Amino acid sequence: MAINIKSLLQQAEIYRSQGLLQDAEKKYLEVATAIKNSDNIQNKNKLLKAVKKKLSAVRKDNEDVETAPTSPEMSSHVNEMIKKLFSFSHDKTNEEEAALEGAIALAKFGQFEGAITEFKKLLEKESVGVAAAKNIIRCFMTLDSIDAASTQMYEWESSDYFSAEQMEKIRSFFDEMLEKKGIKRDLAASDLPEEEEAVEDEEFLDISAVAITFDSGPHKGEQVELDVSFQSGNIISLIISSNDEHMIENLQVGVKLEDIHFYSPIAIFRGTGVVSAKTQINSGPKKGDYSVDIKIQSI
Amino acid sequence: MAIFNIKKREIECKIVYYGPGRCGKTTNLEYIFKSYKKQVEGEMVSINTEGDRTLFFDFLPMELGKIKGCEIRVQMFTVPGQVQYSSTRKLVLKGVDGIIFVADSMDVRREKNMESLKDLQKNLKEYGLNIFKIPLVLQYNKRDLAEQGIPIMSVEQMERDLNRQLKVPAFPGSAMTGKGVGKTLQECLKLTLKSLHKQFNWAE
Repeated sequence: MAINIKSLLQQAEIYRSQGLLQDAEKKYLEVATAIKNSDNIQNKNKLLKAVKKKLSAVRKDNEDVETAPTSPEMSSHVNEMIKKLFSFSHDKTNEEEAALEGAIALAKFGQFEGAITEFKKLLEKESVGVAAAKNIIRCFMTLDSIDAASTQMYEWESSDYFSAEQMEKIRSFFDEMLEKKGIKRDLAASDLPEEEEAVEDEEFLDISAVAITFDSGPHKGEQVELDVSFQSGNIISLIISSNDEHMIENLQVGVKLEDIHFYSPIAIFRGTGVVSAKTQINSGPKKGDYSVDIKIQSI
Repeated sequence: MAIFNIKKREIECKIVYYGPGRCGKTTNLEYIFKSYKKQVEGEMVSINTEGDRTLFFDFLPMELGKIKGCEIRVQMFTVPGQVQYSSTRKLVLKGVDGIIFVADSMDVRREKNMESLKDLQKNLKEYGLNIFKIPLVLQYNKRDLAEQGIPIMSVEQMERDLNRQLKVPAFPGSAMTGKGVGKTLQECLKLTLKSLHKQFNWAE
């Protein structure tokens, strides 16, 4: 029996060293069971304690792997390499096409900020300008930055950057993207009709916390209190723990919140808001949690 | 898709190391980087995540010198093996000319090998490529673990699992010790260049 335990333990250690953490966990559990079932082991409790310690370490490693960001922002050196290696118009007969492919590759690798910068450089190029614009919108939408996409659209629409025909193509692409996300264009924050912009930015009081009553989902009917982590005018940011999956699911971009209590130093106000952005935090102590922006529509 | 620069008489091709997570793709490339200094053209680049897992890809450029009067450059990549990086795997596979499928010999990884081979077939198909036609070599990695008492599959079993239909060259190996790494790469390069020669029909 002792030999068997030793062999199981050795296997567990090797699986762990190979990075096969789930297999290692299973093996450590087998070791623990074998120790428990054995009557002739001295220091049984001490051994079990040691195995349990290894088990929790391997579980922790596994958790770190599982929660690691899938597309963290890379250095400019890495981004340059991605652009070079994944643009396939190598013959340089069409540099603009190659530059567009490089920028698309950056976006596909989740390097959205770098990709947007590259696409912006291509906007003025006749052959790829519209494609670059569509990709900028696509990046913002993937990042759930509907606000930024709307602002960008507004900028292009109110300037003579693109011809009417080109603008029509970009606009219909934006509408398609919104539709796919189940958002009506009038909910995209920058496109909100004037009358809904009930309160000017400067009139906003400091909001320290909010209480949201959900009208659907598992939190339906419940009032959930959340601290405001940041406020800029009528936009408040909330941090939602990654453990609260239901709330993250409920707070989709574009969702209108009809019953919010806003806690200010003076009093509690009742009003409405719309979720304008949702991003996962990639670094720092809140890594893995979500930052949700709510645009206050009325107080 | 390889690039043939007729003026410079230069061919640049792409070899991809494919396989399940933690099977030893990066270790293969690291061994090549250390052992083939003369052919290696620059630095090996690895983009890793938590626990040293490949996040995007590893990259190693090599220069093989002149073959039939043509300068041959090889770009070698590994894909991320973890299941969740499916889209990245497909992206790295784009434009591939030859593939080395690294299978893990450990008993516990049997299913993962088969799943990964199936994933390769699916991704190739999406690029209009056929797994039966593309230059492909298998490597049965981690054979050395048997000495440490780890249950591993026999080569025969791995052949049955992975190579029964493909019938491509397969090599037992250990990327940690370097055993079989060179042979696997040489065979893949041989098949790839043969296929490119047929495609571009270059001559001295």
